[in-house]
Amino acid sequence: MRRFGRPVAAAVAVAGLVGLGLLAVPAGAGAQPELPPVTPEELVRSVLEAKPGPFAGTVEAENALGLPALPGLPAAAADGTSTARVWAGDERQGRVQLPTSDSERTFVTDGATFWTWDSDTREVTTGSRAAQPGRGPAVDPATAAGELIDRLGGSSTLAVDGTAEVAGRPAYELVLAPQPTERTLLREIRIAVDAEKRMPLRLVVLANGSPDPALRIGFTDVAFGPQDPALFTFTPPPGSTVRTAPAERPGNRRGAPNAQVRTVGDGWDAVHVAERGAQAPGNIPDLDRIGTRVSGPWGSGRLITSVVGSVLVTDDGRIAAGAVPEQVLTEALTR
Amino acid sequence: MTAHSVIGPAETGTGPVATPAARVSGLRKVFGSTVAIDGIDLEVPAGSVLGMLGPNGSGKTTLIRMLLGLTRPTAGTVELLGHPVPAAADLALPHVGALVEGPGFHPFLTGRENLRRLAAAEPLLATADIRPAVAAALERVGLTAAADRRYRGYSLGMKQRLGLAAALLVPRRLVVLDEPTNGLDPAGTRDVRRIIAELHAAGTTVIVSSHLLAEVEATCTHVAVLQSGGLVATGELASLLAAGTGGLIVVTPEADAAVRALRAAGATAYRTRDGEPAVVVSDDGPPAPEIIALLVRTGIPVHEARRRRTNLEELFAQLTEDGS
Amino acid sequence: MTAATATGPAATVRGAPLGRLLGAELRWVLRRPRTIAFLVLFALVPVVIGAGVAIADRAGGPGRGLIGAVAGNGLVLPVAALTVSLALLLPLAVAMAAADALAGESAAGTLRGLLVAPVGRLRLVVMKAFGVLVVAAAATLVIAVLGVLCGLVVVGWAEGQMVTLSGTTLGFGEAMGRVALAAAWTTGQLLAVGAVALAVSSLTEHPLVVLAAVLGGVIVSGVLAAIPALSWLQPYLLTTGWSAGADVLRDPLPLDGLGESTLRALCYLVVGAGVTVARMLRRDA
Repeated sequence: MRRFGRPVAAAVAVAGLVGLGLLAVPAGAGAQPELPPVTPEELVRSVLEAKPGPFAGTVEAENALGLPALPGLPAAAADGTSTARVWAGDERQGRVQLPTSDSERTFVTDGATFWTWDSDTREVTTGSRAAQPGRGPAVDPATAAGELIDRLGGSSTLAVDGTAEVAGRPAYELVLAPQPTERTLLREIRIAVDAEKRMPLRLVVLANGSPDPALRIGFTDVAFGPQDPALFTFTPPPGSTVRTAPAERPGNRRGAPNAQVRTVGDGWDAVHVAERGAQAPGNIPDLDRIGTRVSGPWGSGRLITSVVGSVLVTDDGRIAAGAVPEQVLTEALTR
Repeated sequence: MTAHSVIGPAETGTGPVATPAARVSGLRKVFGSTVAIDGIDLEVPAGSVLGMLGPNGSGKTTLIRMLLGLTRPTAGTVELLGHPVPAAADLALPHVGALVEGPGFHPFLTGRENLRRLAAAEPLLATADIRPAVAAALERVGLTAAADRRYRGYSLGMKQRLGLAAALLVPRRLVVLDEPTNGLDPAGTRDVRRIIAELHAAGTTVIVSSHLLAEVEATCTHVAVLQSGGLVATGELASLLAAGTGGLIVVTPEADAAVRALRAAGATAYRTRDGEPAVVVSDDGPPAPEIIALLVRTGIPVHEARRRRTNLEELFAQLTEDGS
Repeated sequence: MTAATATGPAATVRGAPLGRLLGAELRWVLRRPRTIAFLVLFALVPVVIGAGVAIADRAGGPGRGLIGAVAGNGLVLPVAALTVSLALLLPLAVAMAAADALAGESAAGTLRGLLVAPVGRLRLVVMKAFGVLVVAAAATLVIAVLGVLCGLVVVGWAEGQMVTLSGTTLGFGEAMGRVALAAAWTTGQLLAVGAVALAVSSLTEHPLVVLAAVLGGVIVSGVLAAIPALSWLQPYLLTTGWSAGADVLRDPLPLDGLGESTLRALCYLVVGAGVTVARMLRRDA
């Protein structure tokens, strides 16, 4: 027994190492699944019309936007990987949980009422669904990609670039690239669309000048089917502070209150310009320490750039932002 | 399946015994670049008490550790009670008690608890017999009074006694004791001698390593002498001693002249090896009074004349100093 | 039987009953003052956290993170205490047990006694691994039990319920289930640490080397995880999964992190066990 013992023990140790390697290496992108061909237009239409029904899933976002770390911004905005757990119910019901290593933020809506919960502050914010724009944070690729297709479809060249497997499901790779006239920092957006449910499963944003995605949001795990209705309601736990969101002041506290937002241009090089007034400096981070000082016929201000977009904050209180270079922002300000 | 009778030493002690208690051949052990044991062949007859002698660093402990399967030989084979070691050590070791490299016990346990822990690992001991066996072993080495004190507070002699008790937990066919009298007072030494004698009387084979030669001479039937990892002498103690015995030692400042005179008279004579101004005269020549008379007649001063009686110490000195 | 006696050595029993060996090891581990000292220390961890949270709660609002979640929510205390202890204290205790198990016994000269008894070398590893298991399980059990008691008595409980990080509430029974899951998962991670420590222990005669190796490993893992350029290394590190302990406080219970870290622990366990056995089968004692 002793003679065979050592080789066996050594083999066991090696098996453990191999197991560790298998665990560490992500399940490789398997062979591209065979799917019936589809035209880009058909695919886009089916995405916009799709009703995937209830599902539960885990979303992983990989962020390389190159945003400066700003106090007051959610941790997910900084470069790195973050995870969200997403549930969708039948109609406008949803639940999103954003875990960090030792806390969690939860967003729940039953269609009529919404609740948000932050485990760090133990605060519950609740209000009627009408008071909350959108469906909670657009953390799931389905929502985000749907909005993008809606907004950018017209100014893009569309293509279906083969197939892929996302979260174990076969999917078409829809590629949106800006038309040559669009003056944007972005190169292309790739959306993996579930072959059966026609729900976007993964969204990849590629910027000019970099082969690596600036942003990748995708399901790592998704299951369609009826969900427990208890997921879409929320009872404030004992010991929590409940705040009711005022119905007449939509938006979250961190946004610019009473801001007038207008959009200059459309498609990929659309620029959003907001007049926030010079007041309420406490609401936005101190910009003097980040960004570069710029000036021009439009006035002067600070420019913050990232891989996928730029923001210009002028000294007289205007904000221009878009997935565009500086020049397009300043043009939008003078218009 | 569970009912195995303990093979008592009595069974091996009576009648002719075929298998030696231990046998090594061509044994060699190398630690890095140091050769600890260099080609030893040794057979320990069943029922014997083998004294293993040798200066510090001669390889006694390494040899014992290889006998017990604690250390793997670099080359050569070891057989213990007829079983190859270390391959089938688990067949032999239940019948072997050992005290190796001093006692090893846990300071935070009492002597009794330490022994119970070891007794739990004894294959030949039924669970119900552990308590009485431990008590009996403690009694045998005279530790009953201190049994429930922590090992931490034991004196060196008590520690040594506890180690001895561990070797005697079950009736053994072979007991190996590495420096058993280390740290013992004269009473303790007598106890060890008594225990070895008892074991011998019961037919148990005993291997004792020691550098206390009087100890070995008093208790052993066989001797093996190690020197620098090699075996320089082995055999029955009586015959080894007899081989070097006899003759007359004459102490004289004119040793060379004495040798010449004696040889001229037909006696076998040579100078002693240790540099003492003396001459050894064999018994095969003229009787002692004549030899002394001859020397005096020749004008050689005789300071002292005595019978040469080899004791183990002398034999040991001869054997181990040859190489240097 | 008589015939067996007559045939001589071939009839020998191969070894003492395994249960008896494990019992002896259990007594040895629990009689060791160091083990007792560590268990007392672990009993203090939830008490200190609970008292600290209770005082801070009176002084101001709840803190952030896992400790903050304990305030007024006593059933979270055992989980928080386990998570905090897993960072360093628990691995230290397990490393200590593994260091004493082989290197310590070898240094004290007591390993020979067992081998000569004889305890087969494979059985010796089983016996020693059991001792380490006992320490790991006892340590987590002490933290979990004291955590629950202290959570209920010192911190107070949220109407007999546990408020999860996700903002939902769990009844007492389910909360106890979550605490038990945290304890079991923590024990699993500790067994991986213990197996690696035992492997180191089998390679050295100096118990301190084992402690240094395990603590060094835990600390270096933490440092490596903080270097973005080495992020590819993270899936290989045992400590990477150690934040998954907080997952038992989320609702619905996410099993991905717990499962993956447990599988990783299993791999470490297998490697440690293989190396230990391979080494002990030949080790000179």
